[in-house]
Amino acid sequence: MRFIIRHITDKIFTALTVLSVVVLVAILAVILTPILWKGFSAVVFTGTIEFRKMQLDLFNRGDIDELNKENARSQLYRKKIYDTIDRFKQNIDAETLCDKAAQICRTFGKELQRKNMPGAEYQQLRSLSREIRDKLQIAFNSSNKKIVDENIKDVLKYKTDIRFKDTSAAELFAIAENFAADIKNIDLAKRQEYAYALKEFENITVKLLGYNPSTPVPALKMNRYGATRLNIAKKILNQLLLLEKWEQTSPGKPMVKISTPRARLFAGTEIEPLFDYIRDNIDEMLIPKRTFYWQYLIDSSTPGHYFGGVGPEILGTLLLTLASMVFIFPIGIISAAYLAECPSDNFIIKIIRMAINTLAGVPSIVFGLFGLAFFVLYLVPLFGGPSKPCILTAALTLAALTLPVMIRASEEAIRSVPQSYKEASLGLGAGKLRTFICVILPAALPGILTGIILSISRVAGETAPILFTGAIAFGPMPKNAFDPTCTLSYGSYDIAVGDRLASLVPHNQYGMVATLITLVFCLNIAAIIMRAKISRKLKGQ
Amino acid sequence: MKKNLFTMVLVLTAVWVCNLSAAEKTLQIEGSTTVGPIADAFTEAFSQAYPDVKITVTKNGSGNGAAALVDSRCDIAMMSRFMKLDEFTASVDKGIMPVAHAIAMDGICIIVHPSNPVTELSLAQLHDIFTGAVKNWKELGGPDMPIVAISRDTSSGTYETFDHFVMRKDKMDASIEYVSSNPQVHSRVKTTAGAIGYVGVGFLDAEVKGLKVNGIMPSKQTVAGGTYPLSRPLFLFTNGYPALGTISHKFCTFYLTEKGQEIIEAKGFVPVTKY
Repeated sequence: MRFIIRHITDKIFTALTVLSVVVLVAILAVILTPILWKGFSAVVFTGTIEFRKMQLDLFNRGDIDELNKENARSQLYRKKIYDTIDRFKQNIDAETLCDKAAQICRTFGKELQRKNMPGAEYQQLRSLSREIRDKLQIAFNSSNKKIVDENIKDVLKYKTDIRFKDTSAAELFAIAENFAADIKNIDLAKRQEYAYALKEFENITVKLLGYNPSTPVPALKMNRYGATRLNIAKKILNQLLLLEKWEQTSPGKPMVKISTPRARLFAGTEIEPLFDYIRDNIDEMLIPKRTFYWQYLIDSSTPGHYFGGVGPEILGTLLLTLASMVFIFPIGIISAAYLAECPSDNFIIKIIRMAINTLAGVPSIVFGLFGLAFFVLYLVPLFGGPSKPCILTAALTLAALTLPVMIRASEEAIRSVPQSYKEASLGLGAGKLRTFICVILPAALPGILTGIILSISRVAGETAPILFTGAIAFGPMPKNAFDPTCTLSYGSYDIAVGDRLASLVPHNQYGMVATLITLVFCLNIAAIIMRAKISRKLKGQ
Repeated sequence: MKKNLFTMVLVLTAVWVCNLSAAEKTLQIEGSTTVGPIADAFTEAFSQAYPDVKITVTKNGSGNGAAALVDSRCDIAMMSRFMKLDEFTASVDKGIMPVAHAIAMDGICIIVHPSNPVTELSLAQLHDIFTGAVKNWKELGGPDMPIVAISRDTSSGTYETFDHFVMRKDKMDASIEYVSSNPQVHSRVKTTAGAIGYVGVGFLDAEVKGLKVNGIMPSKQTVAGGTYPLSRPLFLFTNGYPALGTISHKFCTFYLTEKGQEIIEAKGFVPVTKY
C-alpha cells in the first residue's frame, strides 16, 4: 500500500515538472514568436517601387536602368491622378486664381508702359484691364452660379477686342474660359468643403504614392517617398477609400464610428472616378516585389528609424559588450581568486562578500547615475579626457553593474576545482601564483565562462546604465572609444518614447527588438560552444 | 591558437580605444524628448550640408539637458521649457552663461477618445478634471462615463508647462495616471473611451480628438499668435552666444532659414516666423 502511494506521488511529481516546463516553453513561445515574426518582416517583405527608389537615393543600391523603366511605367498610371488633382484644385482655390489674375493684370500694365502709347489710350486700357480683373475675382470668389456666369460673360465680351490681341492680357480670357468650363460640374456652394476634402485626399495620396512631381522636393527624407511596403500601402489605400467619422447617435451616449466611401465627398466631380482608378491600378503604380532586405542589419537609419536599418546599433552593442568584457574579465577573476583562495573567512572577507551581494541587488539606474557622476564627470577628466559620455564610460559603468555576477560565478568555479590539483602543483614546487594561473584557472575556465555568458546577456540588454554615460539616439558610427554610440537597447527605448513616427513604422520597432534578442542569443550560443570545447579539452577528449 | 585569438582581440581593442583620430568637428546635443525630433531632423539636413561634422543627439528630458549644459557635457541643450532659477544660478556659478534660442512654438493639445462628444473645455474645467473635482464626463455635457485623466511624468517639460498654465499651484489628484512619453499618452487615449490627456500639437491625428480650450482650437495660427492658451516656445540653450561661423552657431540659427522652418513644420511644430 505504501509503495503504491509512493509510486503515485512520484508520478504526480514528474507530471508537475513536465507541466511546468511545458508552460514555461509555451509562455516563451507566446512572447517571443510574435516579436521575432514581426521583426522578421523588417527584413523580408513585399517592397514597392518607392522602397527601391529610397534604397537607390539613400544607400546607392539597386539597378538604375531597371528602376527608371519601372518608374516610367508607374508614372504612366500616376500622371492621371496628379493632373486631375491639379486641375480640380485650380478651380476651387479662389485665392490662387485671384492672385494669378492680379499678376497678369500687372504684367499687362508694364507691357503697356513699354509700348509708349498715347496717355489717354493707356489710361483706358489700364482701367479696362482692371475692370476685367475685378470681375474675374468676383466670379472666382462667388458661390452663386448666376453671378459667376454674368461676370464671366462680361469678361469674355472683350475677348475679341483687337487691343488685347497678342498681349499678356489674353491669358485672362483663357483662365476665364477654363474656369467656366470646369465649374459646370462643381457645386460652387461646396467649394470650401471641396477644398478641405481635397487637402485630405492629397495628403493621403502623397503618403501612398510620394510627393507630386510638380511640387518642390520635401526637405525631410521621410516625406520624399510614398508607401515603401505593400501592407502599409494597403492600409493607406483603405484610409483613402473609406472616410471614418464619429457621429452622435443619441444624446448622452458616446459617439459611434461610421465609415463611408470618401468618394461621396466628391460626388459628381472629376475626382470621384479617381477612387476606383487608384484602387484598380494600385499594383501598376507601386509595382510590388518580394524583397529580401538583409542590409537592414548594416544600414544606418534616418531620424526616428523611419527608413534604413540598425547597423550602427548592432555595432554599438557589440563594441559596448566587448569593451565591458575587457574590464570585467580580469577584475572579476582577480577578485574571485582573492575570495576563493584567501585563507580564512575573516571580518574583512565577510564585509567584501556582503558588499558584492548588495551590489548585485542595486537597481541599474543607480549604476547609470554613478557612472555619470564618477566616470564621466570625474575619472575620465582626471586623466585628461573629455568630460563627455562615450563608449569607454558606458563600458566601465556596465562592467561595474555586472561585476557581482561575474565574481560570484568565477568564485564558485574556482572553488569547485579539486583541492588535489592545487596540492599536486604546490607539491611539485610551483609557487602560489603559478599554481593559480597554470592549474586552477584553466580548470575553472568553463565555470568562469558561465559567468561571462550571464554578463553578456545583461550588458547587451541594459538601457538604464548607458542612458547618461554613452548612449545616443541618433548619430554616426563610433570611430573610437571616446565617441558615444547608438545601441539596440537604447534605440528600442528611443523608438517607444521619442517620436510619433514609430507608430508609422512598427516593423522597424519589432525589427530592432528582434535583432537585440537574436544578437544576445547568438552571443550566448557562441560562448556556450566555447565552454563546451574547453571542458571537452579539459576532460582530455 | 585560442591564445593568439584572444591576444589579437585585446590588441585590436587597444588600438581602437587609442585611435584618437584627427580632431573632428563634433556637436553633442542633449535634452528634451519633445525637441529631440527637431534636432534629429536638423541633424539629417546638416549631415548632407556638412558631412565632416559629427552630430549626436541624446533625448533624456529637459532637466537632464540643463544639467548636461551645466556640467559642459554637451554643446547644445534642448529644452521644452525655460531654465529654472536654480539651474540658471548653478550654471552661472560654474562660469557657464546659458543663452536661449527659441527655435519653434509648440501648443499643448488636450486630446480625448474620438467617441467622446465633448468638443470644448475651459481652463477651469481642465483644472477641475486634473484636481479630481470632476470625475464623470456627464458633468461636462458628455456621456455617463468616468474620466480617466492621463498626465506626463513630473520630469517632463510638457508636464511643467501644463502644470503652469492649468494647475497653477494646485496638486494633481492621486487618481491621475502618469506615463513617461508623448506616444504613450497618445496610445493610452486612443484605446480608452473615457480618457483625456495632453500632448504636443504634433501628436494630434485622426485617431484621437483634439479639444478646443477656452473656445480656441490649437492650430498654427493660434499657437504662433499666442491666442491658444497652452502655447510655449521650444528652446536650444548654449554656453554664451555661439561664436559666429561655428557649426554650433549654424545649428542654433538653422530655424531661421526656409529649410529649417519647413522641417519644423513637417515635424508638427509651429515655426517662429513666416517663410
